[in-house]
Amino acid sequence: MLGPAALYLVAFSIYPLITSLVRSFQDYNQTKATWRWIGFRNYEDLFTSSEFWTVVKNTLILMTAGVSIQVVAGTALALFFNQNLRGSAIVRGILILPMLLTPIVVGLMWRALLNPQWGLLNWLAVKMGLGYVGWLSDAHVALWTLVLVDSWQWTPFVFVVVYARLQALPQEVFEAGSVDGASWFQRTRLLTLPLLMPAIVFAAIFRGIDAFRTFDLVYGLTNGGPVQATSTLSFEGFQNGFEFQRYGYASAVSYVMVIAAAIGITLLLRVVRVRRMDVAT
Amino acid sequence: MKNPLSGRIIGRVISYVVLALIGLAGIAPFVYLLILSFKTRLDVLTVPPDLHFDWSTIEENYRTVIHDQHYVTFVVNSIVVTGLSTLIALALGVPAAYAFSRLRFRGADTWASTILSFRFMPPIAVAIPIYLMIRSLGLVDSRVGLILPYVAFSLPLVIWIMIGFFDEIPREIDESAMVDGLTRPMVLLRVLLPLARPGMLVAATFGVIFVWNEFLVGLYIVNSSDKETIPIAASSLLTVESPIDWNIAATVGVLTVIPILIFSMVVQRYIVRGITAGAVR
Repeated sequence: MLGPAALYLVAFSIYPLITSLVRSFQDYNQTKATWRWIGFRNYEDLFTSSEFWTVVKNTLILMTAGVSIQVVAGTALALFFNQNLRGSAIVRGILILPMLLTPIVVGLMWRALLNPQWGLLNWLAVKMGLGYVGWLSDAHVALWTLVLVDSWQWTPFVFVVVYARLQALPQEVFEAGSVDGASWFQRTRLLTLPLLMPAIVFAAIFRGIDAFRTFDLVYGLTNGGPVQATSTLSFEGFQNGFEFQRYGYASAVSYVMVIAAAIGITLLLRVVRVRRMDVAT
Repeated sequence: MKNPLSGRIIGRVISYVVLALIGLAGIAPFVYLLILSFKTRLDVLTVPPDLHFDWSTIEENYRTVIHDQHYVTFVVNSIVVTGLSTLIALALGVPAAYAFSRLRFRGADTWASTILSFRFMPPIAVAIPIYLMIRSLGLVDSRVGLILPYVAFSLPLVIWIMIGFFDEIPREIDESAMVDGLTRPMVLLRVLLPLARPGMLVAATFGVIFVWNEFLVGLYIVNSSDKETIPIAASSLLTVESPIDWNIAATVGVLTVIPILIFSMVVQRYIVRGITAGAVR
């Protein structure tokens, strides 16, 4: 029963992954369409190129800043929704939407909102006295704009995970806390947050691995620019591979990613046992 | 003296204002896109957009996209590719997950973790070899060329989700069915599949979301417009560098969001269930 799925994954996941590894030690000749063995040269080029390190830095900023914002905001949202206000079900439904959205469209929406000439956000920024902001054109700002948009799209993910955990906690714990006269802040800090920790850690690692692979948002929002200011590792691999046809170099970029992702996945698997997952309903 | 009752009322009011603001932050970009899609090319430049709409403009924008740019073709392609990929992934993944859940073979957990880890691999690492593979198979520019890798991408998640659901079904059910003379595959088909239907819906939902939005691999596999799926078509209509008419771009955006909106309303509870699988214990 395992056979068909295993064969399929060997053909379309494992084989390509091994090919990538082999290609990362080779050089592709575009005109002759041939491969030549060049040892570690792609990796040497990679580690000595300043572009690569810029891209690594961007990816790490996007990961750490984005995931931090999302974890804090998502947890805050979960605590807020726990009041069970009337109408909150509708807002929860709205919050699911950004996650499902085609990244190209997320990029489109935000490029409209952030448009330098007529975008709504610049108009608001000027009205509020913040002045004109080069959201996507200023090399110092663009990466943070990316963090912002990524957080708009993915904070709901953290929220859904943490909120489910919160709803599953036994109510008696909180009742005991409030009987003892603890304030809301004390109860949250000492009781609720520690109990929510497994869900928060899971969401953070899960989002971290996904943020590490960020490609589509860059493609849809900034195309890596201005210059290299918002390019990520995935985007760098994509550009080199598909646009410049430097398949060997691109494979080396992606193998650096595979190794880093493997570390993240190992972490995640410590948190999530593959077998015997409980499913929250 | 502070009146505790009025204090509570003020608290409530603030809570509802915050709730409304959260909802607004979630939905505003969608609304903005919708408004832009109702405008002429020049009216887009007015900030803030005025809310007078002209029916003939709306009609023209939507006719341009649906009729002149063959949007229906992309929708059909997306439905066919997404539907078939998801079905094949389920057909391969469900028996595999059943085997992982029920058959105690050596290294079962290691294999399950390995398969799961493919879900988190950076797609760029396999995108290039897969593209070259599809090209050498002569499947460039065909739906099959898209479906083959898409199945591989959604398979790990399908297996992961289904293992969780099969583990929840008591083994005694299989055992008593086998005492009645059914073989393992028959047990799966006749007894367990009906019980695991919610799990299959969760798995299918996530497969659909993934395939529906995928374009990193698809972008280069497909290059003639009659084979493009929605995100691939949208990305070629809306790339950062190409000059765009924003009202038309917004219309493409809205038409891309609508199927997702309908889908999310239908499957919202499966989405929440799937995201929280493994997070709550």
